Amino acid sequence: MSEAGERVLLLVGSPKGLEKSSSARLGRFVVDRLRQYGWTSKAIHLHEAMRSEEGRDDLLGEVDRAAVILFAAPLYVDSLPAPAIRALESIAAHRATAANDRRPRFIPLLNCGFLEPSQNDMCQELLRRFAETARFDGGTGISLGGAGALTKRVRGALEQLVEAIHLELLVPDDALESTRKPLMPRWLYILGGNAMWRRTAAKNGVKERLRDRPYASG
Amino acid sequence: MAQRTLILDGATEQGPPTRRAGDAASTALREMGWDVDRLLLSEIDIAPCLGCFGCWMKTPGVCVIDDAGRDIARRIVDCDLLIFLTPVTFGGYSWQLKKAIDRSIPNILPFFRRVNGEVHHVKRYARYPRLLGLGVVPRGPVDPDEEELFETMVRRNAINFHSPSDDACIVAATDDDEAVRQAIEAALGRVIGS
Repeated sequence: MSEAGERVLLLVGSPKGLEKSSSARLGRFVVDRLRQYGWTSKAIHLHEAMRSEEGRDDLLGEVDRAAVILFAAPLYVDSLPAPAIRALESIAAHRATAANDRRPRFIPLLNCGFLEPSQNDMCQELLRRFAETARFDGGTGISLGGAGALTKRVRGALEQLVEAIHLELLVPDDALESTRKPLMPRWLYILGGNAMWRRTAAKNGVKERLRDRPYASG
Repeated sequence: MAQRTLILDGATEQGPPTRRAGDAASTALREMGWDVDRLLLSEIDIAPCLGCFGCWMKTPGVCVIDDAGRDIARRIVDCDLLIFLTPVTFGGYSWQLKKAIDRSIPNILPFFRRVNGEVHHVKRYARYPRLLGLGVVPRGPVDPDEEELFETMVRRNAINFHSPSDDACIVAATDDDEAVRQAIEAALGRVIGS
Protein backbone atom coordinates (compact mmCIF):
# COMPACT_ATOMS: atom_id res chain seq x y z
CA MET A 1 0.00 0.00 0.00
CA SER A 2 1.20 3.50 -0.74
CA GLU A 3 2.24 5.53 2.24
CA ALA A 4 0.32 8.68 3.03
CA GLY A 5 2.08 11.63 1.46
CA GLU A 6 2.68 10.17 -1.99
CA ARG A 7 2.18 12.60 -4.81
CA VAL A 8 -0.14 12.36 -7.79
CA LEU A 9 0.35 14.66 -10.74
CA LEU A 10 -2.71 15.36 -12.88
CA LEU A 11 -1.81 16.40 -16.41
CA VAL A 12 -4.74 17.84 -18.33
CA GLY A 13 -4.41 17.76 -22.11
CA SER A 14 -7.60 19.57 -23.04
CA PRO A 15 -7.46 23.14 -24.36
CA LYS A 16 -10.42 23.92 -22.11
CA GLY A 17 -8.14 23.79 -19.10
CA LEU A 18 -8.41 22.83 -15.46
CA GLU A 19 -11.87 24.25 -14.82
CA LYS A 20 -14.09 23.63 -17.82
CA SER A 21 -12.92 20.45 -19.48
CA SER A 22 -14.34 16.94 -19.14
CA SER A 23 -10.75 15.69 -18.89
CA ALA A 24 -10.08 17.85 -15.83
CA ARG A 25 -13.40 16.87 -14.25
CA LEU A 26 -12.61 13.17 -14.64
CA GLY A 27 -9.05 13.63 -13.41
CA ARG A 28 -10.15 15.64 -10.40
CA PHE A 29 -12.62 12.94 -9.44
CA VAL A 30 -9.68 10.53 -9.07
CA VAL A 31 -7.29 13.02 -7.48
CA ASP A 32 -9.81 14.26 -4.92
CA ARG A 33 -10.34 10.72 -3.67
CA LEU A 34 -6.62 10.04 -3.50
CA ARG A 35 -6.28 13.17 -1.38
CA GLN A 36 -8.73 11.60 1.05
CA TYR A 37 -6.16 8.80 1.43
CA GLY A 38 -3.50 11.38 2.27
CA TRP A 39 -2.00 11.87 -1.16
CA THR A 40 -0.75 15.28 -2.20
CA SER A 41 -1.48 16.49 -5.70
CA LYS A 42 -0.73 19.00 -8.36
CA ALA A 43 -2.69 19.70 -11.55
CA ILE A 44 -1.07 21.12 -14.68
CA HIS A 45 -2.77 22.33 -17.83
CA LEU A 46 -0.43 21.19 -20.60
CA HIS A 47 -1.44 23.90 -23.09
CA GLU A 48 -0.56 26.54 -20.51
CA ALA A 49 2.65 24.81 -19.42
CA MET A 50 4.00 24.60 -22.97
CA ARG A 51 3.53 28.32 -23.58
CA SER A 52 6.68 29.27 -21.67
CA GLU A 53 10.04 27.89 -20.64
CA GLU A 54 9.07 28.44 -17.00
CA GLY A 55 5.89 26.46 -17.45
CA ARG A 56 7.73 23.62 -19.14
CA ASP A 57 10.42 23.53 -16.43
CA ASP A 58 7.72 23.44 -13.76
CA LEU A 59 6.04 20.55 -15.60
CA LEU A 60 9.29 18.56 -15.78
CA GLY A 61 10.05 19.24 -12.11
CA GLU A 62 6.61 17.98 -11.11
CA VAL A 63 7.06 14.88 -13.26
CA ASP A 64 10.25 14.15 -11.32
CA ARG A 65 8.45 14.49 -7.99
CA ALA A 66 5.35 12.43 -8.76
CA ALA A 67 4.73 8.82 -7.75
CA VAL A 68 1.75 8.63 -10.11
CA ILE A 69 1.00 10.65 -13.22
CA LEU A 70 -2.64 10.73 -14.26
CA PHE A 71 -2.86 11.89 -17.85
CA ALA A 72 -6.38 13.09 -18.67
CA ALA A 73 -7.03 14.19 -22.23
CA PRO A 74 -9.62 14.25 -24.99
CA LEU A 75 -9.21 12.47 -28.30
CA TYR A 76 -8.58 14.97 -31.09
CA VAL A 77 -8.61 13.53 -34.60
CA ASP A 78 -7.68 10.04 -33.39
CA SER A 79 -4.81 11.27 -31.23
CA LEU A 80 -4.01 13.90 -28.60
CA PRO A 81 -4.32 17.67 -28.99
CA ALA A 82 -1.07 19.08 -30.41
CA PRO A 83 0.13 20.83 -27.21
CA ALA A 84 -0.33 17.57 -25.27
CA ILE A 85 1.90 15.76 -27.79
CA ARG A 86 4.41 18.59 -27.46
CA ALA A 87 4.41 18.13 -23.69
CA LEU A 88 4.96 14.37 -24.05
CA GLU A 89 7.88 15.03 -26.41
CA SER A 90 9.42 17.32 -23.79
CA ILE A 91 8.86 14.85 -20.96
CA ALA A 92 10.38 11.99 -22.97
CA ALA A 93 13.43 14.11 -23.86
CA HIS A 94 13.82 15.14 -20.22
CA ARG A 95 13.53 11.58 -18.96
CA ALA A 96 16.12 10.43 -21.52
CA THR A 97 18.74 12.77 -20.08
CA ALA A 98 17.75 13.06 -16.41
CA ALA A 99 19.68 10.99 -13.89
CA ASN A 100 16.50 9.71 -12.34
CA ASP A 101 15.90 6.00 -11.85
CA ARG A 102 12.44 6.36 -10.39
CA ARG A 103 9.68 5.02 -12.53
CA PRO A 104 6.46 6.87 -11.73
CA ARG A 105 3.26 5.10 -12.64
CA PHE A 106 1.65 6.60 -15.76
CA ILE A 107 -2.10 6.20 -16.16
CA PRO A 108 -3.96 7.57 -19.19
CA LEU A 109 -7.59 8.63 -18.79
CA LEU A 110 -8.92 9.37 -22.27
CA ASN A 111 -12.32 10.52 -23.43
CA CYS A 112 -13.71 10.99 -26.92
CA GLY A 113 -16.77 12.69 -28.39
CA PHE A 114 -17.83 9.59 -30.25
CA LEU A 115 -19.98 6.96 -28.62
CA GLU A 116 -17.46 4.13 -28.65
CA PRO A 117 -14.74 4.09 -25.98
CA SER A 118 -12.78 1.81 -28.33
CA GLN A 119 -12.07 4.81 -30.57
CA ASN A 120 -9.43 5.73 -27.96
CA ASP A 121 -7.58 2.41 -28.35
CA MET A 122 -5.01 3.67 -30.82
CA CYS A 123 -4.23 6.67 -28.64
CA GLN A 124 -3.87 4.39 -25.62
CA GLU A 125 -1.29 2.42 -27.58
CA LEU A 126 0.50 5.66 -28.46
CA LEU A 127 0.61 6.55 -24.76
CA ARG A 128 1.88 3.07 -23.89
CA ARG A 129 4.76 3.68 -26.29
CA PHE A 130 5.36 7.08 -24.74
CA ALA A 131 5.46 5.55 -21.24
CA GLU A 132 7.99 2.99 -22.42
CA THR A 133 10.16 5.68 -24.04
CA ALA A 134 9.98 7.89 -20.95
CA ARG A 135 10.73 4.94 -18.61
CA PHE A 136 7.45 5.21 -16.79
CA ASP A 137 5.60 2.30 -15.31
CA GLY A 138 2.84 2.31 -17.91
CA GLY A 139 -0.22 0.19 -17.59
CA THR A 140 -3.60 0.01 -19.17
CA GLY A 141 -5.49 3.26 -19.08
CA ILE A 142 -9.16 4.02 -18.98
CA SER A 143 -11.01 5.00 -22.17
CA LEU A 144 -14.38 6.70 -22.18
CA GLY A 145 -16.75 7.52 -25.02
CA GLY A 146 -19.72 9.87 -25.00
CA ALA A 147 -17.52 12.95 -24.33
CA GLY A 148 -16.46 11.60 -20.95
CA ALA A 149 -19.83 11.74 -19.28
CA LEU A 150 -19.41 11.02 -15.56
CA THR A 151 -22.15 8.42 -15.30
CA LYS A 152 -22.74 6.08 -12.37
CA ARG A 153 -20.89 3.33 -14.19
CA VAL A 154 -17.92 5.61 -14.93
CA ARG A 155 -17.83 6.78 -11.30
CA GLY A 156 -17.71 3.16 -10.19
CA ALA A 157 -14.81 2.42 -12.52
CA LEU A 158 -12.93 5.52 -11.36
CA GLU A 159 -13.45 4.50 -7.72
CA GLN A 160 -11.82 1.18 -8.60
CA LEU A 161 -9.01 3.07 -10.30
CA VAL A 162 -8.44 5.10 -7.11
CA GLU A 163 -8.19 1.92 -5.06
CA ALA A 164 -5.80 0.39 -7.59
CA ILE A 165 -3.56 3.47 -7.50
CA HIS A 166 -3.57 3.69 -3.72
CA LEU A 167 -2.94 -0.03 -3.22
CA GLU A 168 -0.42 -0.17 -6.08
CA LEU A 169 -2.46 -2.78 -7.91
CA LEU A 170 -3.26 -3.21 -11.58
CA VAL A 171 -6.41 -1.50 -12.76
CA PRO A 172 -9.07 -4.22 -12.33
CA ASP A 173 -10.32 -5.83 -15.52
CA ASP A 174 -13.94 -5.26 -14.60
CA ALA A 175 -13.28 -1.50 -14.25
CA LEU A 176 -11.80 -1.51 -17.75
CA GLU A 177 -14.59 -3.68 -19.10
CA SER A 178 -17.37 -1.58 -17.61
CA THR A 179 -16.02 1.59 -19.23
CA ARG A 180 -15.74 -0.11 -22.60
CA LYS A 181 -19.49 -0.45 -22.92
CA PRO A 182 -21.15 2.35 -24.92
CA LEU A 183 -23.43 4.58 -22.86
CA MET A 184 -26.48 4.09 -25.05
CA PRO A 185 -27.60 2.54 -28.35
CA ARG A 186 -25.78 3.96 -31.33
CA TRP A 187 -28.94 5.18 -33.07
CA LEU A 188 -29.90 7.14 -29.97
CA TYR A 189 -26.49 8.78 -29.67
CA ILE A 190 -26.61 9.83 -33.33
CA LEU A 191 -30.18 11.11 -33.06
CA GLY A 192 -29.60 12.95 -29.79
CA GLY A 193 -26.21 14.30 -30.84
CA ASN A 194 -27.49 15.67 -34.14
CA ALA A 195 -30.48 17.29 -32.41
CA MET A 196 -28.10 18.90 -29.92
CA TRP A 197 -25.95 20.34 -32.73
CA ARG A 198 -29.05 21.79 -34.44
CA ARG A 199 -30.31 23.32 -31.19
CA THR A 200 -26.96 24.93 -30.45
CA ALA A 201 -26.68 26.28 -33.99
CA ALA A 202 -30.21 27.68 -33.77
CA LYS A 203 -29.33 29.48 -30.53
CA ASN A 204 -26.31 30.98 -32.29
CA GLY A 205 -28.47 32.00 -35.26
CA VAL A 206 -26.55 29.84 -37.75
CA LYS A 207 -28.86 26.85 -38.18
CA GLU A 208 -29.38 27.60 -41.86
CA ARG A 209 -25.64 27.97 -42.41
CA LEU A 210 -24.54 24.75 -40.69
CA ARG A 211 -23.74 23.05 -44.00
CA ASP A 212 -21.94 26.02 -45.56
CA ARG A 213 -18.99 25.18 -47.79
CA PRO A 214 -16.79 28.25 -47.49
CA TYR A 215 -13.83 26.69 -49.33
CA ALA A 216 -15.67 24.83 -52.06
CA SER A 217 -15.15 24.27 -55.30
CA GLY A 218 -15.27 20.85 -53.50
CA MET B 1 -5.25 21.18 -64.91
CA ALA B 2 -2.51 19.44 -62.90
CA GLN B 3 -3.55 17.62 -59.77
CA ARG B 4 -2.43 19.23 -56.54
CA THR B 5 -0.54 17.81 -53.59
CA LEU B 6 -0.30 19.48 -50.22
CA ILE B 7 2.58 18.23 -48.06
CA LEU B 8 2.30 19.16 -44.39
CA ASP B 9 5.81 18.74 -43.06
CA GLY B 10 5.79 18.25 -39.29
CA ALA B 11 9.59 18.23 -38.80
CA THR B 12 10.70 19.03 -35.27
CA GLU B 13 14.04 20.10 -33.82
CA GLN B 14 14.46 16.85 -31.89
CA GLY B 15 13.05 14.38 -34.40
CA PRO B 16 14.76 12.75 -37.38
CA PRO B 17 14.95 14.98 -40.48
CA THR B 18 12.03 14.76 -42.88
CA ARG B 19 13.54 16.76 -45.72
CA ARG B 20 14.82 13.83 -47.78
CA ALA B 21 11.50 11.98 -47.65
CA GLY B 22 9.69 15.20 -48.57
CA ASP B 23 12.08 15.80 -51.46
CA ALA B 24 11.61 12.24 -52.74
CA ALA B 25 7.82 12.56 -52.66
CA SER B 26 7.92 16.01 -54.31
CA THR B 27 10.23 14.84 -57.09
CA ALA B 28 8.18 11.72 -57.82
CA LEU B 29 4.93 13.67 -57.92
CA ARG B 30 6.33 16.43 -60.15
CA GLU B 31 7.63 13.77 -62.55
CA MET B 32 4.03 12.51 -62.73
CA GLY B 33 2.83 16.02 -63.58
CA TRP B 34 1.42 16.95 -60.18
CA ASP B 35 1.73 20.37 -58.56
CA VAL B 36 3.32 20.19 -55.13
CA ASP B 37 2.79 22.64 -52.30
CA ARG B 38 4.96 21.89 -49.27
CA LEU B 39 4.59 23.63 -45.93
CA LEU B 40 7.22 23.41 -43.21
CA LEU B 41 4.93 23.77 -40.23
CA SER B 42 7.64 24.69 -37.73
CA GLU B 43 8.02 27.95 -39.64
CA ILE B 44 4.31 28.76 -39.52
CA ASP B 45 2.58 30.26 -36.53
CA ILE B 46 -0.56 28.19 -35.95
CA ALA B 47 -2.44 28.52 -32.67
CA PRO B 48 -3.68 25.30 -31.08
CA CYS B 49 -7.30 24.31 -31.63
CA LEU B 50 -9.43 25.70 -28.79
CA GLY B 51 -11.87 22.79 -28.79
CA CYS B 52 -14.67 25.38 -28.83
CA PHE B 53 -16.69 23.95 -31.77
CA GLY B 54 -17.01 27.53 -33.03
CA CYS B 55 -16.04 26.27 -36.50
CA TRP B 56 -19.23 24.19 -36.45
CA MET B 57 -21.60 26.24 -34.30
CA LYS B 58 -20.68 29.92 -34.84
CA THR B 59 -18.86 30.35 -38.14
CA PRO B 60 -19.71 27.10 -39.95
CA GLY B 61 -16.76 25.77 -41.90
CA VAL B 62 -14.27 28.40 -40.74
CA CYS B 63 -12.12 28.30 -37.59
CA VAL B 64 -12.75 31.19 -35.20
CA ILE B 65 -8.98 31.76 -34.96
CA ASP B 66 -7.82 34.02 -37.78
CA ASP B 67 -4.32 32.73 -38.53
CA ALA B 68 -2.49 30.40 -40.92
CA GLY B 69 -4.48 27.44 -39.58
CA ARG B 70 -7.48 28.70 -41.55
CA ASP B 71 -5.48 28.87 -44.76
CA ILE B 72 -4.21 25.31 -44.28
CA ALA B 73 -7.76 24.03 -43.79
CA ARG B 74 -8.71 25.72 -47.07
CA ARG B 75 -5.71 24.24 -48.87
CA ILE B 76 -6.62 20.76 -47.62
CA VAL B 77 -10.04 21.04 -49.25
CA ASP B 78 -8.43 22.31 -52.46
CA CYS B 79 -5.85 19.57 -52.94
CA ASP B 80 -6.14 16.12 -54.51
CA LEU B 81 -3.51 14.42 -52.36
CA LEU B 82 -2.69 15.32 -48.78
CA ILE B 83 0.61 14.09 -47.36
CA PHE B 84 1.27 14.02 -43.63
CA LEU B 85 5.07 14.03 -43.37
CA THR B 86 6.29 13.53 -39.84
CA PRO B 87 8.95 12.22 -37.52
CA VAL B 88 7.20 9.16 -36.08
CA THR B 89 6.42 10.19 -32.51
CA PHE B 90 5.42 7.37 -30.14
CA GLY B 91 3.98 5.69 -33.25
CA GLY B 92 2.00 8.75 -34.33
CA TYR B 93 2.51 12.32 -35.51
CA SER B 94 4.72 15.10 -34.22
CA TRP B 95 3.07 18.01 -32.44
CA GLN B 96 4.08 20.29 -35.33
CA LEU B 97 2.01 18.22 -37.76
CA LYS B 98 -0.81 17.74 -35.29
CA LYS B 99 -1.24 21.48 -34.71
CA ALA B 100 -2.32 21.80 -38.38
CA ILE B 101 -4.45 18.64 -38.36
CA ASP B 102 -6.36 19.75 -35.26
CA ARG B 103 -7.29 22.98 -37.02
CA SER B 104 -8.78 21.16 -40.01
CA ILE B 105 -11.98 19.97 -38.33
CA PRO B 106 -14.00 22.84 -39.84
CA ASN B 107 -13.80 20.77 -43.05
CA ILE B 108 -16.25 18.21 -41.70
CA LEU B 109 -19.74 18.65 -40.27
CA PRO B 110 -20.63 18.25 -36.60
CA PHE B 111 -23.39 15.77 -37.43
CA PHE B 112 -22.87 12.12 -36.64
CA ARG B 113 -23.40 9.10 -38.84
CA ARG B 114 -22.57 5.43 -38.63
CA VAL B 115 -19.46 4.21 -40.47
CA ASN B 116 -18.34 0.58 -40.22
CA GLY B 117 -20.23 0.17 -36.96
CA GLU B 118 -18.83 3.33 -35.37
CA VAL B 119 -19.98 6.91 -34.96
CA HIS B 120 -18.14 9.44 -37.15
CA HIS B 121 -18.79 12.90 -38.54
CA VAL B 122 -20.60 13.67 -41.81
CA LYS B 123 -18.89 15.24 -44.86
CA ARG B 124 -19.06 18.98 -45.36
CA TYR B 125 -17.68 18.90 -48.89
CA ALA B 126 -18.46 16.73 -51.89
CA ARG B 127 -14.85 15.68 -52.33
CA TYR B 128 -11.79 15.25 -50.16
CA PRO B 129 -8.13 14.53 -50.92
CA ARG B 130 -6.48 11.15 -50.82
CA LEU B 131 -4.25 10.74 -47.81
CA LEU B 132 -0.68 9.50 -47.53
CA GLY B 133 1.14 9.31 -44.20
CA LEU B 134 4.93 9.47 -44.54
CA GLY B 135 6.76 8.76 -41.32
CA VAL B 136 10.48 9.05 -40.61
CA VAL B 137 12.26 7.18 -37.83
CA PRO B 138 15.86 7.87 -36.74
CA ARG B 139 17.23 4.51 -37.77
CA GLY B 140 16.20 1.20 -39.31
CA PRO B 141 14.97 -1.41 -39.22
CA VAL B 142 11.50 -0.05 -38.64
CA ASP B 143 9.81 -1.53 -35.58
CA PRO B 144 6.83 -3.50 -36.98
CA ASP B 145 4.61 -2.54 -34.02
CA GLU B 146 5.39 1.12 -34.55
CA GLU B 147 4.73 0.76 -38.26
CA GLU B 148 1.39 -0.90 -37.59
CA LEU B 149 0.37 1.85 -35.19
CA PHE B 150 1.35 4.55 -37.68
CA GLU B 151 -0.57 2.82 -40.47
CA THR B 152 -3.60 2.50 -38.22
CA MET B 153 -3.40 6.20 -37.36
CA VAL B 154 -3.42 7.16 -41.05
CA ARG B 155 -6.24 4.73 -41.80
CA ARG B 156 -8.34 6.10 -38.93
CA ASN B 157 -7.67 9.67 -40.06
CA ALA B 158 -8.76 8.71 -43.56
CA ILE B 159 -12.14 7.62 -42.16
CA ASN B 160 -12.61 10.89 -40.29
CA PHE B 161 -11.45 13.02 -43.21
CA HIS B 162 -13.41 11.05 -45.83
CA SER B 163 -10.31 10.32 -47.89
CA PRO B 164 -11.17 8.26 -50.99
CA SER B 165 -7.90 6.32 -50.62
CA ASP B 166 -5.07 6.23 -48.13
CA ASP B 167 -1.75 4.64 -47.43
CA ALA B 168 1.19 4.94 -45.07
CA CYS B 169 4.91 4.41 -45.31
CA ILE B 170 7.80 4.73 -42.86
CA VAL B 171 11.40 5.29 -43.89
CA ALA B 172 14.49 5.52 -41.70
CA ALA B 173 16.87 8.47 -41.64
CA THR B 174 19.65 5.89 -42.07
CA ASP B 175 18.15 4.40 -45.26
CA ASP B 176 20.04 5.20 -48.45
CA ASP B 177 18.52 7.58 -51.00
CA GLU B 178 17.47 4.81 -53.35
CA ALA B 179 15.64 2.89 -50.63
CA VAL B 180 13.78 6.05 -49.59
CA ARG B 181 12.85 6.83 -53.18
CA GLN B 182 11.59 3.31 -53.85
CA ALA B 183 9.56 3.13 -50.64
CA ILE B 184 7.90 6.48 -51.29
CA GLU B 185 7.19 5.83 -54.96
CA ALA B 186 5.59 2.53 -54.01
CA ALA B 187 3.42 4.25 -51.40
CA LEU B 188 2.43 6.96 -53.90
CA GLY B 189 1.54 4.23 -56.38
CA ARG B 190 -0.74 2.61 -53.84
CA VAL B 191 -2.53 5.80 -52.89
CA ILE B 192 -2.89 7.51 -56.29
CA GLY B 193 -2.30 4.62 -58.71
CA SER B 194 0.87 4.37 -60.79
